[in-house]
Amino acid sequence: MNGIWKTLASVGLILTIAAPAFAQQLKATEDVRTALKLLVQVSNDFKRQISNKNFARIPHEYMEYTEAADALRAAVKDEPADFKAKVETRLKAAVAAYQKVSDMSGKETDVDKLMAEHAKAVTAMNSLFDLFPAALRPDPNLPPPGRGGRRG
Amino acid sequence: MHSRVPRAAHLSRRSLLLASLAIPLTIARCERKRASIQQVVDLLIESDGDFLAFKPDTLTCPTGALIRLTFHHRGKFLSARHDWVLVLPGQMEAVDKDVEQNEGIIPQNDSRVIAWTPMCDKGGMVMAQFTAPAPGDYPFFCSTPGHGECMNGILHVTA
Repeated sequence: MNGIWKTLASVGLILTIAAPAFAQQLKATEDVRTALKLLVQVSNDFKRQISNKNFARIPHEYMEYTEAADALRAAVKDEPADFKAKVETRLKAAVAAYQKVSDMSGKETDVDKLMAEHAKAVTAMNSLFDLFPAALRPDPNLPPPGRGGRRG
Repeated sequence: MHSRVPRAAHLSRRSLLLASLAIPLTIARCERKRASIQQVVDLLIESDGDFLAFKPDTLTCPTGALIRLTFHHRGKFLSARHDWVLVLPGQMEAVDKDVEQNEGIIPQNDSRVIAWTPMCDKGGMVMAQFTAPAPGDYPFFCSTPGHGECMNGILHVTA
């Protein structure tokens, strides 16, 4: 029993040390962090426009999502080719998922259906985020930057 | 001979009378001039890069001052446009909702809006000039649809 605890503690220690070490290995850590935050920000904008029934704005949000995706491509441009290829595959899948929400919003006005499609897009985005160390991934539960919230 | 002396005396009395009227009037005029010189305050506010936040999100100015506010859109990646809109206390949400269907464009005659800048593209700068209202806390926000919820702040107007 004692041995199991020792093994678990060792694994935990290795993971704790390895995650920041991997984050440091990335060439442009801050650029990656910013790009991932932008993807989450635009995803949240999609959600807000859907819940406000402001469907006309959704194609614009999709355009911004592609711009945030380009920011991530730029942030990983100096990384090893195999890592870039993995990022590109999952990024393309995420962009395609958000495009589907955008395309749907042109015909569909059912908020629940659009929200369900958005949830699928978030899953695709999270799969992309799994490629990056936890320390760089934005916490979706954190309040938005700045003051946030309604103040008057 | 007789006529010269009283005439001189008469003139000097008139001069004294005029001077006694002119001096207080001149002083009063100077006071009025001093009171009409409005304090000018320059304020700078920026977007937090491409994020939906103002930096700083709190501004302060004295009441009655002429405010020259510059907004700098510091975005690099996203094509989102921003502006800066100052409204009466308690009116931010209502104004934001009303302009939402019109791409966030502020109508000229909205009495709830105190001041606003034009919409600004990434990297650009826009300005607003207005007289600071009565002391109080006034909300400001970006009127691009969906931005105001996160991108807002407070202008503290002091006495």
